[in-house]
Amino acid sequence: MLTVFELALRSMRQNVKHYYLYFFALIFSMSLYFVFTSLQHDQAVLNMTHPSVDFTAGFQIAGVMLIVIVGIFTVSANGIFLRRRSREIGLYQLVGLSKGWVARYLMIENILLGLGALLAAIICGALISRLFVLILLNLLGLEGIVGISFSVPAAFKTSMVYLLIIVITSIQMMLKVYRSTLLNLFQADKQPDLTKPPKAVASAIFALLGLALIGYGYELSGHINEQLFLNAPLVLGSIVAGTYLLFRVTIRRCFYRFRKRKDGHLGLTNSLSMAPLMHHTKANANSLTLITVLSAMAITLISMAYSFYYSVEQETRHDFPDDFMFENEPQEALSFKMELEKEGIDVNHHVVQAVLTMGIILDPNDESRKVEESLLWLPAEQLKQTGADLNVPPDGEAILYNAGASLAGDLDEQSKRYPTEIVLEQHGQTVMYTLRTVMERNIMNLNAPGSQLLVSEATMDKIAVQMADTPGYKIIRFDTFQVPDKEELAIASSLYAKSVSDELLYYFYAQYKEVLQTTGLLIFIAAFLGLVFLISTGSILYFKQMTEAEQEKQSFKTLRQLGFDVDMIMKGIIRKQAIVFLLPLSIGMLHSIFAIKAASFMIRSDTMFPASIVMAIYTVIYFVFALFTIGYYRNIVKNAMS
Amino acid sequence: MDQLNVGETVLQARNVHKTFGTKGNAQHVLKGIDLRVTRSEFVGIMGPSGSGKTTLLNVLATIDHTTDGTVLIDDADISKLSNTALSAFRRNKLGFIFQDYNLLDTLTVKENILLPISLSKMSKRKAESEFTAIADVFDIKALSHKYPHEISGGQKQRTAAGRALIHQPSIVFADEPTGALDSKSASSLLDVMEKVNQQRGVTVVMVTHDPVASSYCSRVVFLRDGKIYSELYRGDKTRHAFFNEIMDVQAVLGGDHVDGF
Repeated sequence: MLTVFELALRSMRQNVKHYYLYFFALIFSMSLYFVFTSLQHDQAVLNMTHPSVDFTAGFQIAGVMLIVIVGIFTVSANGIFLRRRSREIGLYQLVGLSKGWVARYLMIENILLGLGALLAAIICGALISRLFVLILLNLLGLEGIVGISFSVPAAFKTSMVYLLIIVITSIQMMLKVYRSTLLNLFQADKQPDLTKPPKAVASAIFALLGLALIGYGYELSGHINEQLFLNAPLVLGSIVAGTYLLFRVTIRRCFYRFRKRKDGHLGLTNSLSMAPLMHHTKANANSLTLITVLSAMAITLISMAYSFYYSVEQETRHDFPDDFMFENEPQEALSFKMELEKEGIDVNHHVVQAVLTMGIILDPNDESRKVEESLLWLPAEQLKQTGADLNVPPDGEAILYNAGASLAGDLDEQSKRYPTEIVLEQHGQTVMYTLRTVMERNIMNLNAPGSQLLVSEATMDKIAVQMADTPGYKIIRFDTFQVPDKEELAIASSLYAKSVSDELLYYFYAQYKEVLQTTGLLIFIAAFLGLVFLISTGSILYFKQMTEAEQEKQSFKTLRQLGFDVDMIMKGIIRKQAIVFLLPLSIGMLHSIFAIKAASFMIRSDTMFPASIVMAIYTVIYFVFALFTIGYYRNIVKNAMS
Repeated sequence: MDQLNVGETVLQARNVHKTFGTKGNAQHVLKGIDLRVTRSEFVGIMGPSGSGKTTLLNVLATIDHTTDGTVLIDDADISKLSNTALSAFRRNKLGFIFQDYNLLDTLTVKENILLPISLSKMSKRKAESEFTAIADVFDIKALSHKYPHEISGGQKQRTAAGRALIHQPSIVFADEPTGALDSKSASSLLDVMEKVNQQRGVTVVMVTHDPVASSYCSRVVFLRDGKIYSELYRGDKTRHAFFNEIMDVQAVLGGDHVDGF
């Protein structure tokens, strides 16, 4: 046993230059897992945050996703390492060591390596968790210093994840050792897959099917919210399958046809990019699909989280156009105003008189739908004085203000309903008003009663006369307050919270803070998960290319001997890396664009800007990975002759 | 073909030395080699293991630098060329055949053969006709679209030979080209090489330890301990007679079993 142990140690030392990125990625994701579980168990952080924001669940979900990613990453990386070491594995067996010995040897090495990663991860995690808390509090808009103590349950959970990884990779190693014959261990480098010409008809059908599946997925994603639970898995399934076919068949077919047309006159650059890519189509199809889908998911996740976070203020403003609002409480409003003035806070106070009635908004597409609801008629002229951004509708016409409109379905679809009619019943007689259109925001704070209808003051007065004494009729006096200065708003908000006895407080600042914390948590988790996704996928690409570079060493040597210099060869390699990195990145981005568009019904603000920033960052990091890979290749080509 | 050029010097090595390792632990492999190869010659280099055959070939073929002495190919002093110029020189003027073929696994037979002219400005039509001519000579036309792993060793080596000739180099260097082949494949390769040498006037320098292979040459140079031991010219002798002569020298040299020290 000792000799196996020693040998494993020695081999680790030799392999360390191949392992360091694997090691780094593993430590990074495991320390992140440790930090997330620590935060989940930390009482100090929980106490500081809004009670309605579920931090524990957020970190739990993030932890599960991390485990999935770490699992996928280690299995892929381990597969690549095993493939590159298959000759070594074969050699041990050739000199007479048993399969059991080889498996044990690999597993010891793996366990030691994993143990190192585990220790490093827990130490790093403990050290950086403070930094993470600071980042998190900053994102949440909270101030204060939180000391986070070393979390034993987090360390325990991290060890469990490590154990899981060891079990999975050990199974993988045993399968490799016991399942492969000596012959295929020795020919692992040379085994090409799919160099045979694709079967014309079948491949044409599958090539088109790949594109069709992706197109179908994109098309369906456009109205995903119609039947979310049916469509979402359908979209995901068709896009994943389509992407796989794209890499396995469509792109290969394009390459094949291009190559066939060249009829042997391929040229050096294509010989070094297209040919090796075709040589490994099958293995590449698997990893490229995985990487594309993971990238798409990560970009979508971060973009959405960032969009939410980025638009908190705007979104909250849509729901709460005024900072504070009093409904039929002129006394309280007045004393609140005096309190503000006592504190020296600048405030704009306005009074708006509105009318509440019952009525029916007709749906021209669905004549049977006649639901009586509360309608709040708001005078445009008075609101305009409060500084609201609006146009006074012509007499007899109304505009519906509804911040939640897009949640009820596709806005374009909804707008077909307008203009429509509003029917008011008054002592047996009916009166009709035209409803011109819907605006996707509120004109009064969310907690004002009834559907908000903006009309001219004259129209409102007319309705007040017509509908007087009908059931549900009410005249409401709103006192609205705007505090222009942000810091004063915080003080004003605490005064407001004190002055109003109501348990359920709805006002701008409270809502803003709550949403900010939820989305802050979301962006915190999404950004770090995304980073783990990115580092794992980038590393897998790097490992794969590193292995391929070593397999192609002899080719580079031959080419150098034939008189092609390093720069000529590098041109082909750079093209290959461009394809290898750009394909998953660009297709992943395209997927995520459609995914973001599909998910944007959840968000009213523009997702373009946050999404493009996320994509730009993603591209830059991929570019760095590509540069690393090219650097690795250059080294191999340079030293190929010696 | 180009009868006028026969007798013209293609390669000239003067007092070539090669030392490996550092001072104190230096290994003097080539100890002053003088060699002249004329156009359309088919020169074999023989000698026991460790005599410096492959080192000499590498030095002549610009793959390795000399420690001392000069090598001229087509009147160009290759020891004075920069690495970039050397690459261009190899690409344009030299052809290579290796013992283990060194075909690119990812390329078809045709793509492998056309590789050396992939960066030249040759038109596709010209390249195509060159390829057809070469593929006919080596009888690999039918294999054009096959990959190396789909063909036999002999076919691979004929492909490699085709690749060495496609750009009409001044000299083809062959390092144990038959080393990995069975005797039948070996003789069919050598037959074609001899034919190419005679009909196209291609100059060939071949390192081999196989007397049968060297019996195809027009001249055989024997190395021993880093120096030229003797030379044999085939002249008008039959291949069989030449083979016997080679065997005699080998017997004196100690064959392949003596390592030269």
